[in-house]
Amino acid sequence: MKYIKTSILFLGLLAALSCHKDKLTPEPQTQILVDVSFATPEKTLAAVNGVYAGAKVGQIYGGRYYNYQDSRGEEFLNETANGVTQLQTWNFTVTPTTNEVQNFWAAAYTAINRANIVIAGIDQAPISDALKNQYKAECRFIRALMYHALVTIYARPYWDGNGSKPGVVIYTEPQTQLGENQKARSTVAEVYTQILADLNFAEANLQSNNGSVSLNVTRAHKNTAIALKTRVYLYMGRYTDLITEAAKLAPQATAPFSTTSGVTHALQSNITTVFGAGGQTPENILSFPFTANDLPGTQNSLNQYYSPSATSSTATNPCTACAGNGDYSLNIGATGIVSNTGWTANDARRQFNQLINSSTRTWLRKWTANTDYVPAIRYAEVLLNYAEALARVNGLDPKAISLLNAVRKRSDPATTLTPTTSDELINMILTERRIELLGEGFRSRDLLRLGANIPAKGTAPSITPASPQYIWPIPQSELNVNKAVAQNTGY
Amino acid sequence: MAVVLALSQSWAQQRTITGKVTDDKGSPVVNASVLVKGTQTGTVTKADGTYSLNVPANAKTLIISSVDMEPQEHSLGSEATVNATLKAADKTLSEVVVVGYGTQRKKEVTGSVSQINGSKLKDQPLQSFEQGLSGRAAGVNVNIPNGVLGNPPMIRVRGTNSISLSSAPLIVIDGVPSFSGDAGGTASNNLLGDVNPSDIESIEVLKDASAAAIYGSRAAAGVVLITTKKGRQGRARVNYEAWVGWTKAYGLIDVLNAQEFTDLKNEGLTNAGTPPNGTTRGFYTMTDANGNLIDTRWYDYIYQTGFAQNHVLSVSGANDRTNYYFSAGYTDQKGIFVNNTFKRMTGRFTLDQKVNDWFTVGGTFNYSSNRNNGLNTGSTGAAFNTSGQARLGFALAPNVSPYNPDGSYNINGQTIGQGKNLTVLAFTNPVLLLDLNRFQSNGERILGNAYAQVRIMKGLNFKTLYGIDHLSVVNEEFRNAIHGDGNQFNGAVSNTLQQPFRWNWQNTLTYDTRFATNHGLNVLVGAEQQYTKTDTWGADRRNQTDPFFDEFQGGFIDIVPVNNTWTENFLQSYFGRINYDYKKKYFLSFNARRDGYSAFAEQWGTFYGGSAGWTVSEEDFWKNSSIADVMSTLRVRGSYGMVGNFAGIGSYPYQTLFTGGLYGANGAIFFNQGGNPDLTWEKSKKTDIGFSAGFLKDRFTAEFAYYKNDISDLVLAEPQSPSRGIPGNSILRNVGSMVNKGIEVTLGGNILQKKDLTWSASINVTTLKNEVTALSNNNADILVSTGGLESPSLVRVGESIGSFLAIKSTGINPANGQRMFLKADGTEVQYNHAASAATRWTKVSDGTPVSAPGQVADGVVIGPALPKYFGGFDNTLKYKGFDFNLLVYFSGGNYVYNGTKAGLHDNRNWNNAKDNLDRWQKVGDVTEWPRVVFGDNISNGSGQVISTNVEKGDFAKIRNLSLGYTLPQSLVGKVKLSNVRVYVAALNAWTFSGYSGFDPEIQSNGESVANQVTNGAPSVDRNSAPQARTFNVGINIGF
Repeated sequence: MKYIKTSILFLGLLAALSCHKDKLTPEPQTQILVDVSFATPEKTLAAVNGVYAGAKVGQIYGGRYYNYQDSRGEEFLNETANGVTQLQTWNFTVTPTTNEVQNFWAAAYTAINRANIVIAGIDQAPISDALKNQYKAECRFIRALMYHALVTIYARPYWDGNGSKPGVVIYTEPQTQLGENQKARSTVAEVYTQILADLNFAEANLQSNNGSVSLNVTRAHKNTAIALKTRVYLYMGRYTDLITEAAKLAPQATAPFSTTSGVTHALQSNITTVFGAGGQTPENILSFPFTANDLPGTQNSLNQYYSPSATSSTATNPCTACAGNGDYSLNIGATGIVSNTGWTANDARRQFNQLINSSTRTWLRKWTANTDYVPAIRYAEVLLNYAEALARVNGLDPKAISLLNAVRKRSDPATTLTPTTSDELINMILTERRIELLGEGFRSRDLLRLGANIPAKGTAPSITPASPQYIWPIPQSELNVNKAVAQNTGY
Repeated sequence: MAVVLALSQSWAQQRTITGKVTDDKGSPVVNASVLVKGTQTGTVTKADGTYSLNVPANAKTLIISSVDMEPQEHSLGSEATVNATLKAADKTLSEVVVVGYGTQRKKEVTGSVSQINGSKLKDQPLQSFEQGLSGRAAGVNVNIPNGVLGNPPMIRVRGTNSISLSSAPLIVIDGVPSFSGDAGGTASNNLLGDVNPSDIESIEVLKDASAAAIYGSRAAAGVVLITTKKGRQGRARVNYEAWVGWTKAYGLIDVLNAQEFTDLKNEGLTNAGTPPNGTTRGFYTMTDANGNLIDTRWYDYIYQTGFAQNHVLSVSGANDRTNYYFSAGYTDQKGIFVNNTFKRMTGRFTLDQKVNDWFTVGGTFNYSSNRNNGLNTGSTGAAFNTSGQARLGFALAPNVSPYNPDGSYNINGQTIGQGKNLTVLAFTNPVLLLDLNRFQSNGERILGNAYAQVRIMKGLNFKTLYGIDHLSVVNEEFRNAIHGDGNQFNGAVSNTLQQPFRWNWQNTLTYDTRFATNHGLNVLVGAEQQYTKTDTWGADRRNQTDPFFDEFQGGFIDIVPVNNTWTENFLQSYFGRINYDYKKKYFLSFNARRDGYSAFAEQWGTFYGGSAGWTVSEEDFWKNSSIADVMSTLRVRGSYGMVGNFAGIGSYPYQTLFTGGLYGANGAIFFNQGGNPDLTWEKSKKTDIGFSAGFLKDRFTAEFAYYKNDISDLVLAEPQSPSRGIPGNSILRNVGSMVNKGIEVTLGGNILQKKDLTWSASINVTTLKNEVTALSNNNADILVSTGGLESPSLVRVGESIGSFLAIKSTGINPANGQRMFLKADGTEVQYNHAASAATRWTKVSDGTPVSAPGQVADGVVIGPALPKYFGGFDNTLKYKGFDFNLLVYFSGGNYVYNGTKAGLHDNRNWNNAKDNLDRWQKVGDVTEWPRVVFGDNISNGSGQVISTNVEKGDFAKIRNLSLGYTLPQSLVGKVKLSNVRVYVAALNAWTFSGYSGFDPEIQSNGESVANQVTNGAPSVDRNSAPQARTFNVGINIGF
């Protein structure tokens, strides 16, 4: 009896005291420890893709970023008065705690940090030096794109003090652990210097051609960096430098214009092919891809904002592929581009507007599905940047007129624009920008870089350059932690 | 010769005594012990209660006793038959309580343990047992957040004990730490609802370090031990319990009817300078096909009177070797919301078998299967969802109908149909959503354990117990293509399978002895291992090929993975406890536990608790004095120790991780979690001092305790500046601290003890003072948001957690009807939405434009949000066969943020409460509500948090009420039943409170949201579902 009892006790104690060291250190099965993220070429490429993915989240190129910049302009009317879909941005009542102000800042810097982590970690990867530099160039390109997006909404425009006003915070080192949170804002000029340094490195180290149509559209190559430089120089007002860069992409003296080195870019004869899920044409220098499994997210996509919903289709005004939420309709009032007589009725781009609900509302139809690609850089924009720079430097420049008409005639072959003064040329170029790039996140940035008043629309007021609401405040979430940052005037 | 004579004399002088032993109900008592006093001569009663004993002739007294019963002495005269009727043992300070890994006599416990008898949970219209716990134990606050079936009640032991991790206590069912919380998605699924309330024998709550440290790193929020029923000595008992009940929402606020709504909104448009013009603006009523005005009371479509039924059958019994209990239960309940139902089937079997006198084996097997049907009420973290049914009930325009004249649903794209209104309306059509959408959470659960116990020698026992908690929950959600959240996908149905699994193996050695007459020692040492794995996978199928398909397995074009997670963790522990007493007067207890947990880089931690007690009333000086006639018992005790908390931290919180994703059609990986290798447990140092006393032979009892929980190393997401780009903009760090302190007082007694009428009552009150004492980032404030969109709640050093930060409103200016506010610099400002954007905010004194007040710059702290006091007042009256019970649950001293009130006075296209008709209309009006200006969402408190919407949250509720009648034995015996009781009962019968919302107990942030929101944003009522009042009628039959 005693023998049985003590042996039971012994077995029990043995079982009780046995340690399971391996069970106490389990490895996650669905996430990757940071030490092995660059261990293979496949993981390294996936990490680079992760940097692009950071720029196309719903808060940024997934849709909200374009809506932030456009709803501040005068082309759109707010329909749903919903704080969640930028009512306060549209009617200039944002505060440092407004959701979009805080969320966009956080999303853009998350993307920048991903780029910094990959740039720093790439050196460990078992790949060639040339490939390392190419990947670093891609990350720096995305970083430049993000810093430009930040500095054109949270900071005063370049012309204000020639870049001496406070810009945004610059980080170029990876941030993965507890560390220093205090970092002051750099000036606008310093931010642009960083952007240009990144783009110049990118131009030098990106491939001329990524090897396939899809990779050329969704990942950066040399011409992508050059195209972004034309945009950056435009916002800095450095027109001469812009001309130098743009000449690499449109070297011809007259239309038709196209690139002659690297990936071929040219205007497409049918504007509708540039948009939609099939938008991978030579005109798309950079677009962000979306699929059914990889969507912008609820209330983020451009389709949701600008497309009306299915049941607003009537017999007299049918609406195909209308599956949005109708948050923003086009401004058909006097200040909107839609009612501008310079935009002729037969212009193919008019088919991007659609009349619904009898005479009361007009909607933008560039995006009709949540899986539509979002074009970030188009050849048409490069040509218009080039035209404007030429006009500002040379006055009534014939190449500028040729570039302008190339964009115009692609959609409206019957019209030829014939400005007679340099001012008239510049105004026609600016009008063409409004028509061509409607809804693509340019309008309020263009008003800001020109120092123009933001006109009123609907019940939203007009805003002068001196008004604090001309730019966004630095988010409260940043100020709460980073005491070295100073808030913008008036907030 | 003398010896032989003596022997023969003793033989000749033996006699036989026989008799029958019964209990006070007349049932025979099996295995009762019948002993000759002072000898070893004795026997036990047989199955029919009879016995036969040979006693020596000089035997004077028989002692008859049985388990749980008061022993009786009978003097032996000349009679040969001695019968006895035994009474149940007196239940006051001498009963037994369950403590961790064992039991202890209540009057010897020096830690702080509250016990709630399972009989308090019987015969009530409860969905889950926690609903019956409010007000029953000092220090334990149980709050029912709303009337949605499946929504878990919140249990808090001595305050809120964490900020970012869970503040809910550890739940241990029959010795196995079990999963709790909400396993559902849009439909709630309360895991503790798997336990049938009828199966519960008792619930013990371990409140201080001395009682709870045996659970070490999981004990900071208290430990709730649930013990299920076992068989009772005697013949088999068969019981059938059944009840039917009805439940209805109460406290719904009256809203405007169609004409009032139309007129008031048009007044708003006019005041905004954009009057109705018959073409593009304005609100207009309409008539239906019969010419009647359409006046929709949306509450009628969303709420219902729900019917419920519940059945339980149990069979149990025990003899000296075997103890068994079997029960089967079925419940089918409909809630206050249309589409909210709960069905549960439970089966439980437990068996203990004494194989021989040193070896016992046994086990419990619990099976539960439930079906929760729910709807989007907006009460599980989605307070601002445009399809939240609770908000739709009061915010939708009443001048439109859910249906068109042809019977189709009245919709306009993703919004309710306009009717004749020209100004755009908001929100979805709730009737369509209730008809076409489906939200389900269905679970199957096995909770079981098996054990073996060996008595190695006298007093030394070894026990090994292996238990599992195995869950399989399927959440299915169908969102239709026409209207609502499914429209953007052209119809979508998601299906997620969660399989949390746990095994737990405990080995304990206990040694129990009394030595040197006066010294008692009870030693426990043990080792435990626990493995937990959660494996969840799911997908969302989108884009119906045909509107017919609404099941996951139907025809859809796209499929997207959702809710895929895989985690596992392991806990290894060693623990021990020593209880010592001297002369059962002086008590000492010490317990300690060493836990190793896989989720931390530094895995091991040690936790401990010690206590001492002195039963003053056992002292001779006490017994001999006259005090003892009045105060029959007095015990003082105190304890101190340190325990920990890691609930809700996840399985890999300290690591720096990348996760996988997509870039278009290509794979991507990216930085996803910033790590902290120094991350460790939260710690709680608990102090407890108190006494318990009994008066007039313990007819009246009093208990008092002072408690203080000093919590440190709180895990907080240390905010990083967003410009650093760290996902979530935070990294977890042990950096916060908080204090909870207060007193607990419990008084009880048998006030009336007449022959036919008894009245016993008990009142308990707990006070709580919570103060946050340190936070991360140099004690920066944390503003906690409800529903992701509004942040009235503040976590600030020096304040109670979750106090409100609101801009002070000083009323309505009679001169112009504008709401006035006070800025931090003392300026009184007013808001006029009808003015141009730059001049909306002006000074009250002179009308000059001024900058808008902001919550952070100008808000004042109004608090606390946690109740300063809470408790219960329990009364039981018995008169002949009738019994009456009334439990009042009260709570107060705190504020509640009535965000719903803001919505009910919003000047956009939302409906308003009737009292908004008292708005300002002309100069000189002194009113509570401002001039209506269409589009104004500032004056009502939607655009920013204002003090008008922070109200006192004091209330007293008749939480449990029941009246029952036990049929007399004479009637019942005729039909061969052993007892029958019929009763009526109510849950939440009445609420007394000055709160203007639905109910002041409402929590928008219950256990279904992230821990930091549950802890940091209490007492927030934003578009929440109302509470339910439930009645039931039932019968208990004992066969």
